[in-house]
Amino acid sequence: MLNDLQLNSILEDFDIAYWKINILTNEITWSEHFEALVGKPSTQDSIFNYFLNNILHKDYKYDFREAFERLTSGSPEISQEIKLKLQNDKYRWFECRNLKSKENSNKDTAVLLFVNIHQSKRDQYTIEENFFYYRETAEMTSTGGWYIDTLHKAIYWDDVTKKILDCPGDYQVDYDERMRFYSTDHQEKALSIFNKCEKYGIPFKTEIKMCTLYGREFWVRATGKPVYNEEQEIIGIRGVFQNIDENKNNELNLQNSLDIIAAQNSRLFNFAHIVSHNLRSHSSNLSLVVQLLSETQPLKDKMELLDNISDISENLDVAISKLNEIVTHQDVLTKERKTTDFSNALDVVMASVSSLIKRESATIISDFKALKEIQYIPEYLESILLNLITNAIKYKQPGRKPVIFIQTYLSNEKSFMEISDNGMGIDLDQFGEKMFGMYKTFHRNSDAKGIGLFITKNQVETLGGSISVTSTVNIGTTFKIKF
Amino acid sequence: MGQKIELACIIDDDKIYVNLVRKIIEIKHLSENLLIFKNGLEALDYFKVILTNMTADKLPDIIFLDLNMPVMDGWEFLGEFIKIKNNFDKKIILYVVSSSIDPRDLERAKSFNLVTDYLIKPIELKKFEQIFDRDVA
Repeated sequence: MLNDLQLNSILEDFDIAYWKINILTNEITWSEHFEALVGKPSTQDSIFNYFLNNILHKDYKYDFREAFERLTSGSPEISQEIKLKLQNDKYRWFECRNLKSKENSNKDTAVLLFVNIHQSKRDQYTIEENFFYYRETAEMTSTGGWYIDTLHKAIYWDDVTKKILDCPGDYQVDYDERMRFYSTDHQEKALSIFNKCEKYGIPFKTEIKMCTLYGREFWVRATGKPVYNEEQEIIGIRGVFQNIDENKNNELNLQNSLDIIAAQNSRLFNFAHIVSHNLRSHSSNLSLVVQLLSETQPLKDKMELLDNISDISENLDVAISKLNEIVTHQDVLTKERKTTDFSNALDVVMASVSSLIKRESATIISDFKALKEIQYIPEYLESILLNLITNAIKYKQPGRKPVIFIQTYLSNEKSFMEISDNGMGIDLDQFGEKMFGMYKTFHRNSDAKGIGLFITKNQVETLGGSISVTSTVNIGTTFKIKF
Repeated sequence: MGQKIELACIIDDDKIYVNLVRKIIEIKHLSENLLIFKNGLEALDYFKVILTNMTADKLPDIIFLDLNMPVMDGWEFLGEFIKIKNNFDKKIILYVVSSSIDPRDLERAKSFNLVTDYLIKPIELKKFEQIFDRDVA
């Protein structure tokens, strides 16, 4: 058997301090090591009260007193985690438990051990804390973890992954169905990045469109890395999905607004250029007239020149009213969209160009069955129809009666209108780019003012749509408007 | 003082401008004859006909080309004319004349070797005289 001295030295080596308690008298003796840790007790107070009031952290006062009472009343086992103030005034964690009394040992004495557990306690806290931060971060940033066991074809998702994919907590994803969680147009990309990672160990970090259990599409940033076994063979892929739908959408919207602003800016620039050009051409003629007037001698010649002035002023007037027309057409944001019926709009237009239709024996066929109405500015729809219809009649194939076919339909939840004619067509390779510019005319046609398509394009675009054209020379032209 | 210009050519759709220039040329006796086309295509057709039946006296000494015209504008005309001009043995002087003060137009016009200069409308009478005087072939 070890004697007290040997035992003490062993306990000290293990950083264990203890109390010896006489159960009959409740007298407490501190071991040397215990005294070394917390300091000598004051002699004024009982050793127990001194301990309670000066050494033990106040949070554990109640529990410790209760455990101590159980010990002195013969409880076979107590165990407590408590904090004690050491000599340096810092609190440290200790586990406090009794030495079990053997059959033959002295039943009058109990031994209470104090084991320093500060390090392990702190590690445990750190882990809990880290885990807490990890969970909070994952929740706040909508970042879910996942693991694919590529050997056994199994997929494991954490709670956040399930949450961002709208899956219930007990959902088990089937390996063969994994592609259903990617948007149809991104499935190929998803397969490719996962395959590359599985086969060649290429990690990935990409933005991809996923699809929840209920089919709602959204953007995620997917990061994945291969997992190797000890033989350096790839056995799985581990990674995270971060829901970035809001950011991605903001980014897309921003890009969209940027494009619109750029387009409007370029229109404004174009407009300023046109204004300057159109007004300048008349003012320069005026200036020429004035110069000539001073050079010309006979009164008759001078009078002739004066005629020019009236022509110039008339042209200037026309130019200004045309520019006004463009400005009025561009100033749209004040008007509101309302339910606009295609058939009604066409009736209005047909009535206004009835004489032209009659003169050219034009036939207009419409089919609005698939899409009867849209939310639009009625005046705009009418103006678009008017421009495209008069255009089709104006550029008919000589000797052929104009036939115009107008059709509306829905495709991918977007509204479309197509206006096709059997006219002379346009060489798009030559004129395609300028098609919708201002004052561009493509045909040797005296009526051609070259402003209609510019206005039409403007109207369609200011309401968020787009217009495109396909054409075959001598066969006809089709304008397609996406509203 | 150089040789007198025999034939000048104006490609412009602005009737008033063309009439005024015609008058200036008459009054100042700047050129014997004047060719007038109201767009690039008409002018190009004329030059193509000469190509098939080469007669140098029908070629103008000087061309005043507008930019903004219907059917075929000045740029398109330049693009086509550059392809055929080397078939003429006569040196033809070409001025781009426009009321556009857009610097992009100016840059673009100067990028063509065959463009002698870019003139902004209105052209001073004195400038006309200088051009006709100096630029005789």
